[in-house]
Amino acid sequence: MTEAIKEMTDYIARELVRRPGVEITSETPLVSSGLIDSFALVEIFVKLEKLTNRRIPAAKIQPKDMDTVCLMFATAERIGKPRQ
Amino acid sequence: MNLLSLSYLVFVPVVWVLSRLIRSTRGRQILWLAASYFFYATWSLKFLAVLLVSSVVNYALGNYLRRKPTAGRLWVGVGFNILLLGTFKYLPVWSTQLGPGHLPGFLENLILPVGVSFWTFEALSYLFDVYREEELDPSLTEFCLYLAFWPTVLSGPVCRLPELLPQFRNAEPVWDDITEGVRRIILGLFMKTVLSQMLGAGLRPGEGVDFGFNQIAHGWTGADVLILALGFGFQMYFDFAGYSNIVIGTARLFGIRLRENFRDPFLSTSPAEFWTRWHMSLSFWIRDYVFLPLATWKPQVWWRHFALIIAMMLFGFWHGPDSTYIIWGALQGLFLVAHRQYQQLERRTNTKIPAGLASIAGWAVTFCFMLLSWVVFRANDLHQAATMFKALVHFSGYHHFVLSRNFVAMTIVIAVAYFMVAGLRRLADNLKQVPAMSRVGWALSPLMYSAAMLSIVIMSIHKAVFVYLQF
Repeated sequence: MTEAIKEMTDYIARELVRRPGVEITSETPLVSSGLIDSFALVEIFVKLEKLTNRRIPAAKIQPKDMDTVCLMFATAERIGKPRQ
Repeated sequence: MNLLSLSYLVFVPVVWVLSRLIRSTRGRQILWLAASYFFYATWSLKFLAVLLVSSVVNYALGNYLRRKPTAGRLWVGVGFNILLLGTFKYLPVWSTQLGPGHLPGFLENLILPVGVSFWTFEALSYLFDVYREEELDPSLTEFCLYLAFWPTVLSGPVCRLPELLPQFRNAEPVWDDITEGVRRIILGLFMKTVLSQMLGAGLRPGEGVDFGFNQIAHGWTGADVLILALGFGFQMYFDFAGYSNIVIGTARLFGIRLRENFRDPFLSTSPAEFWTRWHMSLSFWIRDYVFLPLATWKPQVWWRHFALIIAMMLFGFWHGPDSTYIIWGALQGLFLVAHRQYQQLERRTNTKIPAGLASIAGWAVTFCFMLLSWVVFRANDLHQAATMFKALVHFSGYHHFVLSRNFVAMTIVIAVAYFMVAGLRRLADNLKQVPAMSRVGWALSPLMYSAAMLSIVIMSIHKAVFVYLQF
């Protein structure tokens, strides 16, 4: 899991953050601070499903559940279903 | 009773004093609900009847969904609300377009309950939150108060129950709430009754945005269209942001903090940023309950773009079934997709544009696009919008105005003043750390508020109507 969290954090910092140069950790607020937009949220969601190998019902997720990398993985664990 | 009437000026203090006299939470909730229903009933008892039915049915649907949160049960709730909105908001317009005799008489004569789009979206967000298994346990009184809460019932901001429920139970205004509430109300009144009014109706007959769009028959020059787009953009902003300030300020007097609806939208440096600053409560609603579930439905990138365009078209459709609103929404979606493509190209090619230059260019493109898109939004029909865009590309027409010179000058002055005030506010925020500067601010505030109040009184002789009440 730690590896996956690191990969997600690097991916967000490299590909998705609006303001370049901002340091991103697994606890950095992303949605509430405006660091990422709605498009990025969808890309994170798709990446999260890949990294956790879980199917996450999107309708059950709120942006606040995806605010930090740690929260995303906790949400995936809580409501995601393992892929066959 | 509307928020600019003298009766509202009496209504709010009376409810405030009564709510200070009642100590029990439940008693206060019942008082606020009674006050909200009284306020709404002053518009029409029929409107109140529709709101009551919607409240009771949505509360029952929420309980039904909570017992077993399945997609099927959620769709029953969504279906009910779409039916309600369709019947009262869209059907009468379609019926008018079809002409008499196509629909049963009682359907042709339905009246649009004011605020129905706002409180129906609040009801829907409650059902979505219950489906997401949020821990929500409102009593019937609390739920009815959530939908009917008088500051928000007419035109939002579109609230969420998880934010309001704890406040309905524990709100206790302190001195800061009162001062901030009064400040927001004065600011809102100034934006609405002075600035928006001046732009909308002009200072003399035969001037103003409304005259420019409605009375000048196909005679616009390119310069006129630019001024009308600028004027209407700022009229909408001052109208709706001013209204939101009055609403947020009123709720704050009672210790209730509502979500913000506007945050300097015309300073945005990208369309994505603009939609986190303009009509934020609806924009975030669309993001949370439409775009995200839809966009994550399929993993392909093209689908995300398609979902975004659909979500923005829904945003336009929310304003009404006119083709101008839907096309305006589609344009917003396309602009957001284009911006996304540009961002990806920038990353792929590792292009490094200096931050300052990128901000200025981003701001200029966003501001110009948003202003021009208001032409489609405000035009009376697509033909008018097309005529106005044609005028824009007739470069020979830029050397004169059909609009009155007073109105042109006033619009430019108001737009420039907006940016100057925004700049000064940022400067003041930076200087707040300097004690001498904070004393200057303290000394200037009474002067500024007195000037604002004076201009509100002078302008209040004109009959002001909120643009957003029609939605």
